[in-house]
Amino acid sequence: MLNYIWAGLIIVSLVFALASDIGDVVNDPYRNGQPLAVTLEFDRPYDADAPRQPVRLLIDSTAFRQAYGVDGTPQASYDATLRQSDDATELVLADAEAELPAPLDVIRGATNPRDQILQGTLSDLRLAPAASPPGTPTASGARATAALTFAPVRFVKLGAITTAAIDFAEVAVTIALGLIGVLVLFLGLSKIAEDAGIILALVKVVRPVLGPLFPEIPRDHPAMGMIALNLAANVFGLGNAATPFGVKAMEELQTLNPEPDTATNSMVMLLALNTASVQLIPPITLIAILGVETNNVYFPILFTTMGSLIVAILAAKGFGRLRRYRATDPLRHGPVATPEA
Amino acid sequence: MDTFRDIIGALSVFVLPAMIVGIPLYGLVKKVPVYESFVEGGKEGFGLAVRIIPYLVAILFAIGMFRASGAMEWLAGALGPVLALIGMPAEVLPMAIVRPLTGSGSVAIVADLAAQYGETSLITRMASTMFGSTETTFYVIAVYFGAAGVSKTRHALPAGLLADVAAMLFAVWLCLLFFG
Repeated sequence: MLNYIWAGLIIVSLVFALASDIGDVVNDPYRNGQPLAVTLEFDRPYDADAPRQPVRLLIDSTAFRQAYGVDGTPQASYDATLRQSDDATELVLADAEAELPAPLDVIRGATNPRDQILQGTLSDLRLAPAASPPGTPTASGARATAALTFAPVRFVKLGAITTAAIDFAEVAVTIALGLIGVLVLFLGLSKIAEDAGIILALVKVVRPVLGPLFPEIPRDHPAMGMIALNLAANVFGLGNAATPFGVKAMEELQTLNPEPDTATNSMVMLLALNTASVQLIPPITLIAILGVETNNVYFPILFTTMGSLIVAILAAKGFGRLRRYRATDPLRHGPVATPEA
Repeated sequence: MDTFRDIIGALSVFVLPAMIVGIPLYGLVKKVPVYESFVEGGKEGFGLAVRIIPYLVAILFAIGMFRASGAMEWLAGALGPVLALIGMPAEVLPMAIVRPLTGSGSVAIVADLAAQYGETSLITRMASTMFGSTETTFYVIAVYFGAAGVSKTRHALPAGLLADVAAMLFAVWLCLLFFG
């Protein structure tokens, strides 16, 4: 099933991205190739030969809304640089973080993905007299009207899903490597616990409860102890500790598995217990967002998590009885003979 | 009920220190070479983390693409009327969809709903309940099965997802019961 869901996620992403991009081609929400009328304000008098000069970009909000058919309002002015060369006159915004209304924010991201700075070509530059009334001492040199054209925006979503794929691949590695510290800490502790006989003692305590859920685990096998530690860490909201114990439990279960690439019923049960997340402590991230309000949702969370736990157990047991999953059970021919220590 | 919560809260503060200090101490009493045992056990940690990487990359990049494609918004719009029948506001649906897929994504949704509708609104409470009561199924599958090197997951995903669906329904129902 994971195969189908995994491929499904990728295919659905591609289909939706293409549909959205083809919609853009038809509707042209970015007005590719069509200029936007803007006003430029110069601090010093306009110099036709200067390769770079600072300007302020003013976008009239009414004209902007009409042009793009949106509700957004541009800022009063944007600091920018006017770049002039023999080939072209370009306007580049000074601040990459500047608040841009839709669809200019998308145009910024799509036309200049590396620097994320909005830029466009200027044409039709016409100087106008200073706007300030005559007589007032004014520092502003002059104003000019111009037409600003952005590079065409095409296949935004296609680009977005590609970027997301690459970004998330990096995130996955960061997450995995970030686990090393806690893995080493808790695996080290659990080794001490094993050598000191704590795990074995724990197995004896929890067997009456967990035994029926994991009938494949032989008596006094350390896997049961690791599972108990994993569940205990979950119950107390210690996600950091739960992962290493769960991972260790998986490894222990793997020693009972004659087909290492296929999950046994016990592994599926352990996973179901973990995804249902048996916890009595609300996650810290929730407390960080909601503050004291977390107290009010405490009992709904508690009852929900217990309900879903029961469903998880029943589902893991029930699906395991289906013929298609029975046929792939690595232990369908009975347990493997474990070498006695 | 409140004392129960306080006891659990207090316990959870002590569990971790008790483990970190208690286990080596008990080992010492039992004459275990604690330092050697710790290092011996911890050695596996690096290899495990590295072994997880391909499984985690496979899951996360597919989920990342799905989120970026805008399919979720479409799904929320399409399923809205159906969910109104069970009393679930359409605003909560993205949470129900995202929760099994990504932890960080669902945190963002709770924060967003809290900012938009207020912390005491039914919508935020429902989303918080969904967030707090289940785990990121796909992440757990990637990490746990990745560590064991298992790629044929059999009924793990159906069981996990069924539990997630149940949790979403319980969350809706219990929030309506508590706050509705």
